[in-house]
Amino acid sequence: MSVQSPCKGCREEYRATEEQIDRLLDHPMFQADSEISVPDSVYLGRLEQCMSCPRLSAGTTCLVCGCFVRVAAKYRNRACPLAGESRWAKFET
Amino acid sequence: MSNSVTINADQVLGTINRNIYGHFSEHLGRCIYEGIWVGEDSPVPNTNGIRNDVVAALKHIKIPVLRWPGGCFADEYHWKDGVGPREDRKRMINTHWGGVLENNHFGTHEFLMLCEMLECEPYISGNVGSGTVQEMSEWVEYMTFDGVSPMAEWREKNDREKPWDVKYFGVGNENWGCGGNMRPEYYADLYRRYQTYVRNYGDNKIHKIACGPNSDDYRWMDVVMREAHWLMDSISLHYYTVPGKSWSNKGPATGFTEDEWYTTLKKALWMDELITRHSAIMDRYDPSKRIGLIVDEWGTWFDVEPGTNPGFLYQQNTIRDALVAGITLNIFHAHSDRVQMANLAQVINVLQSVILTEGEKMVLTPTYHVFDMFKVHQDASLLHSSVTSAAYTRDEHSISQLSVSASKDAQGRIHISLCNLDNAAEAEVDIDLRGLDGAELVISGTELTASEKDAHNTFEQPDQVAPAAFHAFRMEDGKLKAKLSPMSVTVLEVIAQ
Repeated sequence: MSVQSPCKGCREEYRATEEQIDRLLDHPMFQADSEISVPDSVYLGRLEQCMSCPRLSAGTTCLVCGCFVRVAAKYRNRACPLAGESRWAKFET
Repeated sequence: MSNSVTINADQVLGTINRNIYGHFSEHLGRCIYEGIWVGEDSPVPNTNGIRNDVVAALKHIKIPVLRWPGGCFADEYHWKDGVGPREDRKRMINTHWGGVLENNHFGTHEFLMLCEMLECEPYISGNVGSGTVQEMSEWVEYMTFDGVSPMAEWREKNDREKPWDVKYFGVGNENWGCGGNMRPEYYADLYRRYQTYVRNYGDNKIHKIACGPNSDDYRWMDVVMREAHWLMDSISLHYYTVPGKSWSNKGPATGFTEDEWYTTLKKALWMDELITRHSAIMDRYDPSKRIGLIVDEWGTWFDVEPGTNPGFLYQQNTIRDALVAGITLNIFHAHSDRVQMANLAQVINVLQSVILTEGEKMVLTPTYHVFDMFKVHQDASLLHSSVTSAAYTRDEHSISQLSVSASKDAQGRIHISLCNLDNAAEAEVDIDLRGLDGAELVISGTELTASEKDAHNTFEQPDQVAPAAFHAFRMEDGKLKAKLSPMSVTVLEVIAQ
Protein backbone atom coordinates (compact mmCIF):
# COMPACT_ATOMS: atom_id res chain seq x y z
CA MET A 1 0.00 0.00 0.00
CA SER A 2 1.27 3.42 -0.90
CA VAL A 3 1.00 6.02 1.83
CA GLN A 4 1.42 9.68 0.93
CA SER A 5 3.62 11.34 3.49
CA PRO A 6 2.37 14.65 4.85
CA CYS A 7 5.96 15.85 4.63
CA LYS A 8 6.50 18.33 1.83
CA GLY A 9 10.16 17.67 1.15
CA CYS A 10 9.87 13.91 0.71
CA ARG A 11 7.62 14.04 -2.33
CA GLU A 12 8.86 12.61 -5.57
CA GLU A 13 7.69 15.58 -7.60
CA TYR A 14 10.46 17.69 -6.08
CA ARG A 15 13.19 15.52 -7.59
CA ALA A 16 14.75 16.92 -10.74
CA THR A 17 15.24 14.38 -13.53
CA GLU A 18 16.49 14.51 -17.09
CA GLU A 19 13.15 13.01 -18.16
CA GLN A 20 11.32 16.05 -16.78
CA ILE A 21 13.57 18.33 -18.77
CA ASP A 22 13.13 16.22 -21.90
CA ARG A 23 9.37 16.52 -21.54
CA LEU A 24 9.60 20.30 -21.23
CA LEU A 25 11.80 20.57 -24.30
CA ASP A 26 9.40 18.45 -26.35
CA HIS A 27 7.03 21.42 -26.41
CA PRO A 28 6.78 23.06 -29.86
CA MET A 29 7.80 26.43 -28.38
CA PHE A 30 11.29 25.06 -27.92
CA GLN A 31 11.79 23.97 -31.50
CA ALA A 32 14.74 25.77 -33.10
CA ASP A 33 12.62 27.71 -35.57
CA SER A 34 10.10 29.00 -33.02
CA GLU A 35 9.79 32.67 -32.08
CA ILE A 36 10.98 31.95 -28.57
CA SER A 37 13.97 29.71 -29.15
CA VAL A 38 17.46 30.55 -30.29
CA PRO A 39 18.99 28.66 -33.26
CA ASP A 40 20.66 25.37 -32.37
CA SER A 41 24.16 26.76 -32.88
CA VAL A 42 23.54 29.49 -30.30
CA TYR A 43 21.87 27.02 -27.97
CA LEU A 44 24.81 24.66 -27.99
CA GLY A 45 27.24 27.52 -27.43
CA ARG A 46 25.27 28.68 -24.42
CA LEU A 47 25.08 25.18 -22.99
CA GLU A 48 28.82 24.76 -23.35
CA GLN A 49 29.26 27.86 -21.20
CA CYS A 50 26.78 26.60 -18.63
CA MET A 51 28.41 23.19 -18.40
CA SER A 52 31.74 24.73 -17.37
CA CYS A 53 30.17 27.23 -14.95
CA PRO A 54 30.91 26.80 -11.23
CA ARG A 55 27.33 27.78 -10.46
CA LEU A 56 25.91 24.73 -12.25
CA SER A 57 24.41 22.19 -9.85
CA ALA A 58 24.09 18.46 -10.51
CA GLY A 59 24.61 19.05 -14.23
CA THR A 60 21.09 20.42 -14.56
CA THR A 61 20.39 23.55 -12.55
CA CYS A 62 21.70 27.10 -12.57
CA LEU A 63 22.09 28.11 -8.93
CA VAL A 64 21.79 31.79 -9.82
CA CYS A 65 18.28 31.63 -11.29
CA GLY A 66 17.10 28.13 -10.32
CA CYS A 67 16.37 27.16 -13.93
CA PHE A 68 17.25 24.00 -15.74
CA VAL A 69 20.01 25.28 -18.02
CA ARG A 70 18.81 23.09 -20.91
CA VAL A 71 15.56 25.07 -20.78
CA ALA A 72 16.88 28.55 -19.90
CA ALA A 73 19.45 28.48 -22.71
CA LYS A 74 16.66 28.08 -25.25
CA TYR A 75 15.14 31.52 -24.70
CA ARG A 76 16.07 34.36 -27.07
CA ASN A 77 15.21 37.03 -24.52
CA ARG A 78 17.25 35.59 -21.67
CA ALA A 79 20.81 36.33 -20.67
CA CYS A 80 23.05 34.39 -18.32
CA PRO A 81 22.22 35.85 -14.86
CA LEU A 82 25.67 35.37 -13.33
CA ALA A 83 26.41 38.64 -11.53
CA GLY A 84 29.37 40.57 -12.94
CA GLU A 85 30.40 37.92 -15.45
CA SER A 86 27.42 36.94 -17.57
CA ARG A 87 28.44 34.08 -19.83
CA TRP A 88 25.92 34.64 -22.61
CA ALA A 89 23.77 37.51 -23.80
CA LYS A 90 20.25 37.89 -25.13
CA PHE A 91 19.96 36.76 -28.73
CA GLU A 92 19.07 39.59 -31.06
CA THR A 93 18.80 39.12 -34.81
CA MET B 1 -26.17 43.46 0.58
CA SER B 2 -24.02 46.55 1.19
CA ASN B 3 -20.75 46.59 3.08
CA SER B 4 -20.64 48.30 6.45
CA VAL B 5 -17.99 48.40 9.13
CA THR B 6 -18.26 49.68 12.68
CA ILE B 7 -15.01 50.43 14.46
CA ASN B 8 -15.03 51.18 18.15
CA ALA B 9 -11.97 53.33 18.63
CA ASP B 10 -12.37 53.24 22.41
CA GLN B 11 -12.58 49.44 22.70
CA VAL B 12 -9.15 47.82 22.72
CA LEU B 13 -9.17 44.03 22.46
CA GLY B 14 -5.44 43.46 22.87
CA THR B 15 -2.08 44.05 21.24
CA ILE B 16 -1.13 42.88 17.76
CA ASN B 17 2.22 41.22 18.37
CA ARG B 18 4.71 42.59 15.86
CA ASN B 19 6.07 39.07 15.44
CA ILE B 20 2.94 38.21 13.45
CA TYR B 21 4.84 40.00 10.66
CA GLY B 22 7.72 37.51 10.86
CA HIS B 23 9.45 35.65 8.06
CA PHE B 24 11.06 32.29 7.41
CA SER B 25 14.36 31.47 5.70
CA GLU B 26 15.37 27.92 4.84
CA HIS B 27 18.32 26.36 3.08
CA LEU B 28 16.06 25.63 0.15
CA GLY B 29 16.46 26.60 -3.47
CA ARG B 30 17.75 30.16 -3.63
CA CYS B 31 16.45 31.48 -0.33
CA ILE B 32 19.66 31.51 1.71
CA TYR B 33 22.27 31.17 -1.04
CA GLU B 34 21.78 33.84 -3.72
CA GLY B 35 18.80 35.39 -1.93
CA ILE B 36 20.61 36.38 1.26
CA TRP B 37 24.16 35.08 1.15
CA VAL B 38 26.35 35.81 -1.87
CA GLY B 39 29.73 35.66 -0.14
CA GLU B 40 32.23 38.39 0.51
CA ASP B 41 33.85 38.13 -2.94
CA SER B 42 30.61 38.50 -4.88
CA PRO B 43 30.13 41.35 -7.36
CA VAL B 44 26.67 41.72 -5.83
CA PRO B 45 27.00 44.59 -3.31
CA ASN B 46 27.23 42.98 0.12
CA THR B 47 28.32 43.45 3.69
CA ASN B 48 30.28 40.52 5.07
CA GLY B 49 28.72 38.32 2.37
CA ILE B 50 25.08 39.38 2.89
CA ARG B 51 23.25 41.27 0.13
CA ASN B 52 22.85 44.98 0.90
CA ASP B 53 19.71 45.38 -1.22
CA VAL B 54 17.87 42.60 0.58
CA VAL B 55 18.84 43.85 4.04
CA ALA B 56 17.61 47.36 3.18
CA ALA B 57 14.32 46.06 1.78
CA LEU B 58 13.62 43.88 4.82
CA LYS B 59 14.51 46.63 7.27
CA HIS B 60 12.10 48.89 5.43
CA ILE B 61 9.18 46.60 6.26
CA LYS B 62 10.42 46.30 9.85
CA ILE B 63 10.93 42.56 9.79
CA PRO B 64 10.52 41.62 13.46
CA VAL B 65 11.70 38.00 13.53
CA LEU B 66 13.33 35.52 11.16
CA ARG B 67 13.12 31.73 11.43
CA TRP B 68 16.06 29.54 10.34
CA PRO B 69 17.47 27.06 9.15
CA GLY B 70 14.24 25.23 8.26
CA GLY B 71 11.77 23.72 7.66
CA CYS B 72 12.60 20.22 6.63
CA PHE B 73 16.25 21.25 6.32
CA ALA B 74 16.36 21.82 10.08
CA ASP B 75 15.54 18.15 10.61
CA GLU B 76 18.88 17.17 9.08
CA TYR B 77 20.88 20.23 10.06
CA HIS B 78 23.86 19.67 12.31
CA TRP B 79 24.93 23.09 13.48
CA LYS B 80 28.55 22.19 14.15
CA ASP B 81 28.99 21.71 10.39
CA GLY B 82 28.30 25.43 9.97
CA VAL B 83 30.77 27.11 12.33
CA GLY B 84 34.52 27.74 12.15
CA PRO B 85 36.58 28.75 9.11
CA ARG B 86 34.35 28.55 6.05
CA GLU B 87 36.91 26.74 3.95
CA ASP B 88 36.96 23.92 6.49
CA ARG B 89 33.22 23.49 6.81
CA LYS B 90 31.61 20.26 5.72
CA ARG B 91 30.14 20.00 2.27
CA MET B 92 27.00 17.92 1.89
CA ILE B 93 24.06 17.34 -0.41
CA ASN B 94 20.81 19.01 0.58
CA THR B 95 18.76 15.85 0.25
CA HIS B 96 15.45 17.51 1.03
CA TRP B 97 15.52 20.26 -1.53
CA GLY B 98 16.91 20.01 -5.06
CA GLY B 99 19.89 17.80 -4.25
CA VAL B 100 22.26 20.77 -4.40
CA LEU B 101 25.63 21.00 -2.73
CA GLU B 102 25.43 22.68 0.68
CA ASN B 103 28.80 24.10 1.68
CA ASN B 104 27.65 25.37 5.06
CA HIS B 105 29.07 28.83 4.39
CA PHE B 106 25.91 30.28 5.90
CA GLY B 107 25.82 28.99 9.47
CA THR B 108 25.07 30.14 12.98
CA HIS B 109 27.41 33.15 12.97
CA GLU B 110 26.20 34.33 9.58
CA PHE B 111 22.52 33.96 10.51
CA LEU B 112 22.89 35.82 13.77
CA MET B 113 24.93 38.51 12.01
CA LEU B 114 22.07 38.84 9.51
CA CYS B 115 19.58 39.28 12.34
CA GLU B 116 21.78 41.97 13.86
CA MET B 117 21.87 43.76 10.50
CA LEU B 118 18.09 43.47 10.20
CA GLU B 119 17.60 44.43 13.85
CA CYS B 120 15.20 41.52 14.19
CA GLU B 121 14.85 38.60 16.60
CA PRO B 122 16.36 35.28 15.54
CA TYR B 123 14.16 32.20 15.75
CA ILE B 124 16.26 29.04 15.63
CA SER B 125 14.65 25.76 14.65
CA GLY B 126 16.38 22.88 16.46
CA ASN B 127 16.87 19.37 15.14
CA VAL B 128 14.86 16.70 16.92
CA GLY B 129 14.35 14.48 13.88
CA SER B 130 17.97 13.41 13.39
CA GLY B 131 19.86 15.33 16.06
CA THR B 132 20.79 14.44 19.59
CA VAL B 133 19.83 16.01 22.88
CA GLN B 134 23.48 16.89 23.43
CA GLU B 135 23.72 18.57 20.04
CA MET B 136 20.70 20.75 20.72
CA SER B 137 21.84 21.58 24.23
CA GLU B 138 25.31 22.55 23.03
CA TRP B 139 23.88 24.78 20.29
CA VAL B 140 22.05 26.84 22.89
CA GLU B 141 25.18 26.89 25.05
CA TYR B 142 27.31 27.97 22.06
CA MET B 143 25.01 30.85 21.21
CA THR B 144 24.05 32.14 24.65
CA PHE B 145 26.46 31.06 27.40
CA ASP B 146 28.40 33.95 28.91
CA GLY B 147 31.18 32.39 30.93
CA VAL B 148 33.63 29.51 30.93
CA SER B 149 32.37 26.48 29.04
CA PRO B 150 33.56 24.33 26.14
CA MET B 151 30.98 25.79 23.75
CA ALA B 152 31.58 29.41 24.84
CA GLU B 153 35.31 28.91 24.34
CA TRP B 154 34.72 27.45 20.89
CA ARG B 155 32.54 30.43 20.01
CA GLU B 156 35.30 32.81 21.13
CA LYS B 157 37.80 30.86 19.05
CA ASN B 158 35.46 31.45 16.12
CA ASP B 159 35.74 35.22 16.60
CA ARG B 160 32.65 35.89 18.67
CA GLU B 161 33.44 36.71 22.26
CA LYS B 162 30.06 37.84 23.54
CA PRO B 163 27.05 35.55 23.39
CA TRP B 164 24.06 36.47 21.30
CA ASP B 165 20.57 37.10 22.58
CA VAL B 166 18.49 34.23 21.24
CA LYS B 167 14.94 34.21 22.48
CA TYR B 168 12.96 31.95 20.17
CA PHE B 169 13.97 28.30 19.88
CA GLY B 170 11.90 25.59 18.21
CA VAL B 171 12.27 22.11 19.66
CA GLY B 172 11.72 20.22 16.44
CA ASN B 173 10.00 20.93 13.13
CA GLU B 174 7.22 18.99 11.41
CA ASN B 175 7.93 15.94 13.51
CA TRP B 176 4.73 14.45 12.10
CA GLY B 177 6.46 14.40 8.71
CA CYS B 178 10.01 15.20 7.59
CA GLY B 179 11.02 15.62 11.23
CA GLY B 180 10.77 11.91 11.99
CA ASN B 181 7.27 10.73 11.00
CA MET B 182 6.35 10.52 14.66
CA ARG B 183 3.09 9.98 16.45
CA PRO B 184 2.11 12.88 18.74
CA GLU B 185 2.52 10.65 21.80
CA TYR B 186 6.13 9.89 20.88
CA TYR B 187 6.93 13.49 19.94
CA ALA B 188 5.43 14.80 23.17
CA ASP B 189 7.79 12.59 25.16
CA LEU B 190 10.74 13.65 23.02
CA TYR B 191 9.74 17.29 23.45
CA ARG B 192 9.72 16.86 27.21
CA ARG B 193 13.19 15.33 27.07
CA TYR B 194 14.87 17.69 24.59
CA GLN B 195 13.48 20.88 26.08
CA THR B 196 14.89 19.95 29.49
CA TYR B 197 18.37 20.68 28.16
CA VAL B 198 17.48 23.87 26.32
CA ARG B 199 18.82 25.99 29.14
CA ASN B 200 18.60 29.61 30.07
CA TYR B 201 22.07 31.10 30.52
CA GLY B 202 22.62 34.45 32.21
CA ASP B 203 19.95 36.92 31.24
CA ASN B 204 18.98 35.01 28.13
CA LYS B 205 15.51 33.52 28.54
CA ILE B 206 14.57 31.02 25.86
CA HIS B 207 11.00 31.02 24.57
CA LYS B 208 10.49 27.30 23.86
CA ILE B 209 8.34 26.40 20.89
CA ALA B 210 6.92 22.90 20.55
CA CYS B 211 6.17 21.35 17.19
CA GLY B 212 2.46 21.68 16.61
CA PRO B 213 0.15 20.22 14.01
CA ASN B 214 -0.08 20.26 10.26
CA SER B 215 -3.23 22.03 9.14
CA ASP B 216 -6.32 20.40 10.70
CA ASP B 217 -4.59 17.64 12.64
CA TYR B 218 -6.48 18.43 15.82
CA ARG B 219 -5.44 15.20 17.49
CA TRP B 220 -1.78 16.22 17.29
CA MET B 221 -2.57 19.51 19.02
CA ASP B 222 -4.62 17.77 21.71
CA VAL B 223 -2.02 15.12 22.54
CA VAL B 224 1.01 17.42 22.58
CA MET B 225 -0.81 20.01 24.67
CA ARG B 226 -2.10 17.35 27.07
CA GLU B 227 1.31 15.78 27.59
CA ALA B 228 3.61 18.80 27.59
CA HIS B 229 1.77 22.12 27.81
CA TRP B 230 3.40 23.23 31.06
CA LEU B 231 6.85 22.87 29.51
CA MET B 232 6.33 25.10 26.48
CA ASP B 233 5.91 28.80 25.78
CA SER B 234 4.37 28.35 22.34
CA ILE B 235 3.31 25.68 19.92
CA SER B 236 3.45 25.90 16.12
CA LEU B 237 0.93 25.44 13.33
CA HIS B 238 1.67 24.98 9.63
CA TYR B 239 -0.88 25.70 6.94
CA TYR B 240 -0.33 26.42 3.25
CA THR B 241 -2.86 27.75 0.76
CA VAL B 242 -2.87 25.31 -2.15
CA PRO B 243 -5.63 25.91 -4.72
CA GLY B 244 -5.27 22.58 -6.54
CA LYS B 245 -6.91 19.35 -5.48
CA SER B 246 -3.62 17.61 -4.79
CA TRP B 247 0.01 18.38 -3.98
CA SER B 248 1.03 17.08 -7.40
CA ASN B 249 -1.34 19.54 -9.12
CA LYS B 250 -1.31 22.70 -7.07
CA GLY B 251 -2.09 25.13 -9.89
CA PRO B 252 0.08 27.80 -11.50
CA ALA B 253 1.26 31.00 -9.82
CA THR B 254 0.27 33.04 -12.91
CA GLY B 255 -2.15 32.36 -15.74
CA PHE B 256 -4.63 30.79 -13.34
CA THR B 257 -8.36 30.47 -13.88
CA GLU B 258 -11.25 32.30 -12.27
CA ASP B 259 -11.95 29.17 -10.24
CA GLU B 260 -8.37 29.08 -9.01
CA TRP B 261 -8.57 32.72 -7.90
CA TYR B 262 -11.70 32.01 -5.92
CA THR B 263 -10.51 28.72 -4.46
CA THR B 264 -7.22 30.27 -3.37
CA LEU B 265 -8.93 33.01 -1.38
CA LYS B 266 -11.50 30.60 0.05
CA LYS B 267 -8.72 28.32 1.24
CA ALA B 268 -6.77 31.26 2.67
CA LEU B 269 -9.84 32.16 4.73
CA TRP B 270 -9.78 28.67 6.24
CA MET B 271 -6.92 29.89 8.42
CA ASP B 272 -9.56 31.49 10.64
CA GLU B 273 -11.28 28.18 11.33
CA LEU B 274 -7.98 26.41 11.91
CA ILE B 275 -6.85 28.95 14.49
CA THR B 276 -10.26 29.01 16.15
CA ARG B 277 -10.40 25.24 16.55
CA HIS B 278 -6.77 24.78 17.57
CA SER B 279 -7.18 27.61 20.07
CA ALA B 280 -10.23 25.89 21.54
CA ILE B 281 -8.13 22.78 22.14
CA MET B 282 -5.36 24.87 23.67
CA ASP B 283 -7.93 26.55 25.93
CA ARG B 284 -8.63 23.19 27.58
CA TYR B 285 -5.06 23.00 28.87
CA ASP B 286 -4.18 26.69 28.91
CA PRO B 287 -7.31 28.75 29.61
CA SER B 288 -5.24 31.79 30.58
CA LYS B 289 -3.69 31.81 27.09
CA ARG B 290 -0.14 31.83 28.40
CA ILE B 291 0.95 29.64 25.50
CA GLY B 292 1.21 31.26 22.12
CA LEU B 293 0.16 29.77 18.82
CA ILE B 294 2.91 30.39 16.30
CA VAL B 295 1.97 29.93 12.65
CA ASP B 296 5.58 29.53 11.60
CA GLU B 297 4.89 28.34 8.07
CA TRP B 298 2.08 29.85 6.02
CA GLY B 299 1.44 31.23 2.56
CA THR B 300 0.61 30.17 -0.97
CA TRP B 301 2.12 27.09 -2.55
CA PHE B 302 1.77 26.77 -6.31
CA ASP B 303 3.44 24.75 -9.06
CA VAL B 304 6.98 25.97 -9.67
CA GLU B 305 7.70 28.29 -12.56
CA PRO B 306 8.06 26.21 -15.74
CA GLY B 307 11.66 25.32 -16.48
CA THR B 308 12.87 25.76 -12.91
CA ASN B 309 14.11 23.00 -10.64
CA PRO B 310 11.05 21.59 -8.82
CA GLY B 311 13.05 21.24 -5.62
CA PHE B 312 13.67 24.99 -5.51
CA LEU B 313 9.98 25.90 -5.01
CA TYR B 314 10.32 29.10 -7.03
CA GLN B 315 7.00 30.74 -7.87
CA GLN B 316 5.88 34.14 -9.07
CA ASN B 317 3.77 36.35 -6.86
CA THR B 318 0.67 38.23 -8.05
CA ILE B 319 -2.06 40.48 -6.73
CA ARG B 320 -3.74 37.21 -5.70
CA ASP B 321 -0.85 36.58 -3.29
CA ALA B 322 -1.28 40.12 -1.98
CA LEU B 323 -4.92 39.34 -1.18
CA VAL B 324 -3.90 36.11 0.59
CA ALA B 325 -1.39 38.07 2.65
CA GLY B 326 -3.87 40.80 3.57
CA ILE B 327 -6.63 38.34 4.46
CA THR B 328 -4.31 36.20 6.56
CA LEU B 329 -2.75 39.09 8.44
CA ASN B 330 -6.24 40.40 9.26
CA ILE B 331 -7.11 36.92 10.58
CA PHE B 332 -3.98 36.86 12.72
CA HIS B 333 -4.96 40.26 14.17
CA ALA B 334 -8.38 38.94 15.11
CA HIS B 335 -6.70 36.09 17.02
CA SER B 336 -4.01 38.20 18.63
CA ASP B 337 -4.99 36.86 22.05
CA ARG B 338 -3.50 33.52 20.94
CA VAL B 339 -1.38 34.09 17.82
CA GLN B 340 1.92 35.53 19.02
CA MET B 341 4.03 35.01 15.92
CA ALA B 342 3.74 33.99 12.29
CA ASN B 343 6.38 33.37 9.66
CA LEU B 344 5.54 33.67 5.99
CA ALA B 345 7.15 30.96 3.84
CA GLN B 346 9.57 32.04 2.61
CA VAL B 347 11.28 35.38 2.66
CA ILE B 348 13.16 35.25 -0.67
CA ASN B 349 12.88 33.21 -3.88
CA VAL B 350 10.82 30.39 -2.35
CA LEU B 351 7.01 30.02 -2.25
CA GLN B 352 5.17 33.24 -1.30
CA SER B 353 8.24 35.44 -1.19
CA VAL B 354 8.38 39.11 -0.46
CA ILE B 355 11.55 39.44 -2.55
CA LEU B 356 12.80 37.78 -5.74
CA THR B 357 16.41 37.95 -6.89
CA GLU B 358 18.38 36.91 -9.95
CA GLY B 359 22.08 37.69 -9.88
CA GLU B 360 22.43 41.35 -8.91
CA LYS B 361 18.78 42.09 -9.70
CA MET B 362 16.06 42.27 -7.05
CA VAL B 363 12.33 42.81 -7.31
CA LEU B 364 9.74 43.41 -4.60
CA THR B 365 6.58 41.32 -4.89
CA PRO B 366 2.96 42.37 -4.27
CA THR B 367 3.19 40.47 -0.99
CA TYR B 368 6.09 42.70 0.04
CA HIS B 369 3.93 45.75 -0.48
CA VAL B 370 1.20 44.34 1.78
CA PHE B 371 3.76 43.81 4.55
CA ASP B 372 4.94 47.37 3.98
CA MET B 373 1.44 48.84 4.10
CA PHE B 374 0.42 46.73 7.12
CA LYS B 375 3.54 47.42 9.22
CA VAL B 376 1.57 50.20 10.94
CA HIS B 377 -0.29 47.44 12.80
CA GLN B 378 2.88 46.10 14.45
CA ASP B 379 2.50 46.30 18.25
CA ALA B 380 -0.62 48.44 17.82
CA SER B 381 -3.79 48.00 19.86
CA LEU B 382 -6.40 45.88 18.13
CA LEU B 383 -9.72 47.74 18.01
CA HIS B 384 -13.10 46.12 18.26
CA SER B 385 -14.80 46.15 14.89
CA SER B 386 -17.81 44.51 13.32
CA VAL B 387 -18.20 43.89 9.62
CA THR B 388 -21.24 43.28 7.47
CA SER B 389 -19.94 42.16 4.12
CA ALA B 390 -21.55 41.56 0.78
CA ALA B 391 -21.20 38.02 -0.45
CA TYR B 392 -18.66 37.07 -3.07
CA THR B 393 -20.24 34.07 -4.75
CA ARG B 394 -19.12 31.61 -7.36
CA ASP B 395 -21.25 28.63 -8.37
CA GLU B 396 -22.79 27.33 -5.17
CA HIS B 397 -20.08 28.81 -2.94
CA SER B 398 -20.06 32.09 -1.07
CA ILE B 399 -17.42 33.94 0.91
CA SER B 400 -17.23 37.46 2.27
CA GLN B 401 -16.21 40.11 -0.20
CA LEU B 402 -14.46 42.08 2.54
CA SER B 403 -11.75 41.39 5.07
CA VAL B 404 -11.19 44.17 7.62
CA SER B 405 -9.03 44.90 10.65
CA ALA B 406 -8.41 48.08 12.65
CA SER B 407 -5.82 49.12 15.19
CA LYS B 408 -4.60 52.18 17.06
CA ASP B 409 -0.89 52.89 17.36
CA ALA B 410 1.03 54.49 20.20
CA GLN B 411 0.47 57.96 18.73
CA GLY B 412 -3.29 57.41 18.62
CA ARG B 413 -3.45 57.01 14.84
CA ILE B 414 -6.06 54.53 13.65
CA HIS B 415 -5.25 52.21 10.77
CA ILE B 416 -7.89 50.24 8.92
CA SER B 417 -6.81 47.49 6.54
CA LEU B 418 -9.41 46.43 3.99
CA CYS B 419 -9.26 43.68 1.38
CA ASN B 420 -11.71 43.42 -1.51
CA LEU B 421 -11.56 39.78 -2.54
CA ASP B 422 -13.71 40.14 -5.66
CA ASN B 423 -11.57 40.58 -8.76
CA ALA B 424 -14.42 42.09 -10.81
CA ALA B 425 -16.58 44.21 -8.51
CA GLU B 426 -15.82 47.33 -6.55
CA ALA B 427 -16.78 47.39 -2.90
CA GLU B 428 -18.54 50.41 -1.47
CA VAL B 429 -18.01 50.48 2.28
CA ASP B 430 -19.60 52.63 4.96
CA ILE B 431 -17.29 52.89 7.96
CA ASP B 432 -18.75 54.11 11.23
CA LEU B 433 -15.93 55.31 13.47
CA ARG B 434 -17.21 55.40 17.02
CA GLY B 435 -15.52 56.52 20.19
CA LEU B 436 -13.72 59.56 18.81
CA ASP B 437 -15.91 62.14 20.56
CA GLY B 438 -16.63 64.16 17.43
CA ALA B 439 -12.99 65.01 16.75
CA GLU B 440 -12.00 66.38 13.39
CA LEU B 441 -10.57 63.58 11.29
CA VAL B 442 -7.63 63.73 8.93
CA ILE B 443 -7.78 60.71 6.64
CA SER B 444 -5.37 59.34 4.07
CA GLY B 445 -4.99 56.03 2.35
CA THR B 446 -2.81 53.68 0.32
CA GLU B 447 -4.07 51.10 -2.14
CA LEU B 448 -2.55 48.07 -3.84
CA THR B 449 -4.48 46.79 -6.83
CA ALA B 450 -4.05 45.70 -10.43
CA SER B 451 -5.91 45.56 -13.71
CA GLU B 452 -5.27 41.85 -14.29
CA LYS B 453 -5.84 39.14 -11.72
CA ASP B 454 -2.39 37.67 -12.27
CA ALA B 455 -0.54 40.98 -12.44
CA HIS B 456 2.95 40.61 -11.01
CA ASN B 457 6.34 42.27 -10.87
CA THR B 458 9.29 41.10 -12.94
CA PHE B 459 12.90 42.16 -13.17
CA GLU B 460 12.01 43.92 -16.41
CA GLN B 461 8.81 45.52 -15.05
CA PRO B 462 9.29 45.79 -11.29
CA ASP B 463 6.41 48.21 -10.58
CA GLN B 464 3.47 46.57 -12.30
CA VAL B 465 1.89 46.06 -8.89
CA ALA B 466 2.85 48.85 -6.51
CA PRO B 467 1.08 50.87 -3.81
CA ALA B 468 -0.51 54.17 -4.77
CA ALA B 469 -2.27 56.92 -2.87
CA PHE B 470 -5.94 56.13 -2.29
CA HIS B 471 -8.43 58.95 -2.69
CA ALA B 472 -11.77 57.19 -3.25
CA PHE B 473 -13.25 58.11 0.12
CA ARG B 474 -15.27 60.92 1.66
CA MET B 475 -16.97 61.79 4.92
CA GLU B 476 -20.74 61.85 4.66
CA ASP B 477 -23.29 62.03 7.46
CA GLY B 478 -20.57 61.35 9.98
CA LYS B 479 -19.48 58.16 8.24
CA LEU B 480 -16.42 57.38 6.20
CA LYS B 481 -17.49 56.12 2.79
CA ALA B 482 -14.85 54.36 0.71
CA LYS B 483 -14.97 52.74 -2.71
CA LEU B 484 -12.49 49.87 -2.90
CA SER B 485 -11.17 48.77 -6.28
CA PRO B 486 -11.69 45.16 -7.34
CA MET B 487 -8.93 42.83 -6.06
CA SER B 488 -7.42 45.44 -3.80
CA VAL B 489 -5.70 45.81 -0.46
CA THR B 490 -6.17 49.23 1.14
CA VAL B 491 -4.92 50.78 4.35
CA LEU B 492 -6.58 53.93 5.67
CA GLU B 493 -5.01 56.15 8.29
CA VAL B 494 -7.30 58.20 10.50
CA ILE B 495 -5.90 60.92 12.74
CA ALA B 496 -8.37 62.42 15.20
CA GLN B 497 -7.49 66.05 15.98
